[in-house]
Amino acid sequence: MSLWEFFQGRYDDLLQAGFDHIWLVGLSVFLCTVIGVGLGVATYRTNRPREIVLAITSAFLTVPSFALFVLLIPPLGIGAPPVILALTMYGLLPVVRNTITGLREVDPSIVESAQGMGLSRTQRLTRIELPLAWPVIVTGVRVSALILVGIATIGAIVDGPGYGEFIFNGLARVGSPVAVNLVLAGMIGVIVVAIIFDVLFAVIAKLTTSRGIR
Amino acid sequence: MTNIGTVDGTAGRIMIRLENLRKEYPKEPKPAVDDLTLEIPEGEIVILVGPSGCGKTTTMKMINRIIEPTSGRIIVDDKDVTHEDPDQLRRRIGYVIQQIGLFPHQTIAENIATVPKLLGWDAKRIDARIDELLETVSMSPATYRNRYPKQLSGGQRQRVGVARALSGDPAVMLMDEPFGAIDPITRDRLQNEFLRLQAEVRKTIVFVTHDIDEAIKMGDRIAILQEGSRIAQYDTPEQILTAPASDFVADFIGAGASLKRLNLSRVRDIGLTQWPTVQLGTEPSEVIETLRRSDKGAALVLDEANHPRRWVSALDLQRADGRPLDQIGLPPEAVVEPQATLNDALNELITANYSVAIVVDADGTYQGIVDIDHINEAIRGMRTVARAKARAGLAEDRDDDLLTKGTTP
Repeated sequence: MSLWEFFQGRYDDLLQAGFDHIWLVGLSVFLCTVIGVGLGVATYRTNRPREIVLAITSAFLTVPSFALFVLLIPPLGIGAPPVILALTMYGLLPVVRNTITGLREVDPSIVESAQGMGLSRTQRLTRIELPLAWPVIVTGVRVSALILVGIATIGAIVDGPGYGEFIFNGLARVGSPVAVNLVLAGMIGVIVVAIIFDVLFAVIAKLTTSRGIR
Repeated sequence: MTNIGTVDGTAGRIMIRLENLRKEYPKEPKPAVDDLTLEIPEGEIVILVGPSGCGKTTTMKMINRIIEPTSGRIIVDDKDVTHEDPDQLRRRIGYVIQQIGLFPHQTIAENIATVPKLLGWDAKRIDARIDELLETVSMSPATYRNRYPKQLSGGQRQRVGVARALSGDPAVMLMDEPFGAIDPITRDRLQNEFLRLQAEVRKTIVFVTHDIDEAIKMGDRIAILQEGSRIAQYDTPEQILTAPASDFVADFIGAGASLKRLNLSRVRDIGLTQWPTVQLGTEPSEVIETLRRSDKGAALVLDEANHPRRWVSALDLQRADGRPLDQIGLPPEAVVEPQATLNDALNELITANYSVAIVVDADGTYQGIVDIDHINEAIRGMRTVARAKARAGLAEDRDDDLLTKGTTP
């Protein structure tokens, strides 16, 4: 059976896995963004907490994903929940780091003139600092999304949804003719999802960044 | 030791009063601002000037509490604002810094609308205010409203910075080296524009600079500050140039105090001299007759509207060969208007023919001339007046001393 015939035969399964992969990564990226931007905003002005947050989120990335998925089975069971939690942990670092970098790179004289005009601390953050840091933050979210699209495939070992299932099925049948097709289909699917996310974030970045700082 | 800068009764109402203001930083042995008391009269530009690190910027930033004082009181418009909500206070005080700090992600209109929005003005009023302010700083609203800061030149950004600071119609403006980052030619123009604007709006302005020439040009009153924001002298530019209170002040003014004084008075303030003039079309013989009656080497030829056209000397007339007056002699250079400073006039006349600057009104009509003797006389006059004032001040102090001594046993 050629790869093309395989695609035609498993069309429905492949499409379903694609949707699963996208919502899984999408939800995790959303959580990363909310938590990561929050942590960045809370710590960018203080040295010690900032270093601690960056150290912890970096440490998450060094945990082997296999191990983490398996460790999360006792508290969360199998399926999507342990995968979403693990992905959120892996995706935090780029978002937190870029939020902190973006906010710290805002020209201090702009913030001072805002302060001098009577914008409160919150107004300065929401109207001046975050909009100016936004392009850097979006880049962090985009990087995070691409990392998670790849790691999400490994979630299949705890029965997580997405293209990982195809790849693990292929691995389980090494030697049989369908094995290569399964792995290739999973891989191509992952690449397509990655491209979709990349284009999506490029469009979001363009639409949400002021013309004045593009 | 006292550190007090007060103004005499001739100044207007006191708009800002700093009382025993002090700023200490942890780990620094000396205070950045040491018990400063300073009065700033309404409608004046008061310059804080001094070497770097003297505390002038710290002093200014305590007025809108960007920097909180360690102790002392700040009174603005008869109200103690030392413990007021700083955001409310800042919305009533215009603020311009050297880097201007326009918001790059907002259009010029949005930048200017910042404070009016915070003050809760309605959209129509804000819109009208944006147009009015852009006109005020000579920028066409139609062209610039929707541009972004990156699309403007340095000078234009500075203008928008001033417009933005004026947007909420504050009574007080704080300006920290507002012309510091601009090339010298543009700076000169912007300074003049700003003075013209100030003549209309009459804000109370605290202006920080390290440049004594800028201080003399822009200030109604100058506070020369030493380390710890200690007042070395607080007086009008004339008095500071004529009677420096200490060696520190004299050193800070530097050489050429007399030349600096030239920036203080304007051509219209000194009397003009007349020069032999002839109308276009006058017979050469009559021109020669006019020249013979005066002690000057050349006559100024005016046209029907009394606009200066040529310099014509007796020699030019001899060589004329029947050509009309406006085709012989030399063109009239060094033309100044009455609002030019003596410095401008001197600059012109040094290089001019016959060493005079021709003064014309706004329409270009001939008014008279200024020469070097004139300028010389004006400076001498100013110096005499300022010396007399300084002496009168000293005499008063001595009287006070005598009285005090008289009452002590």
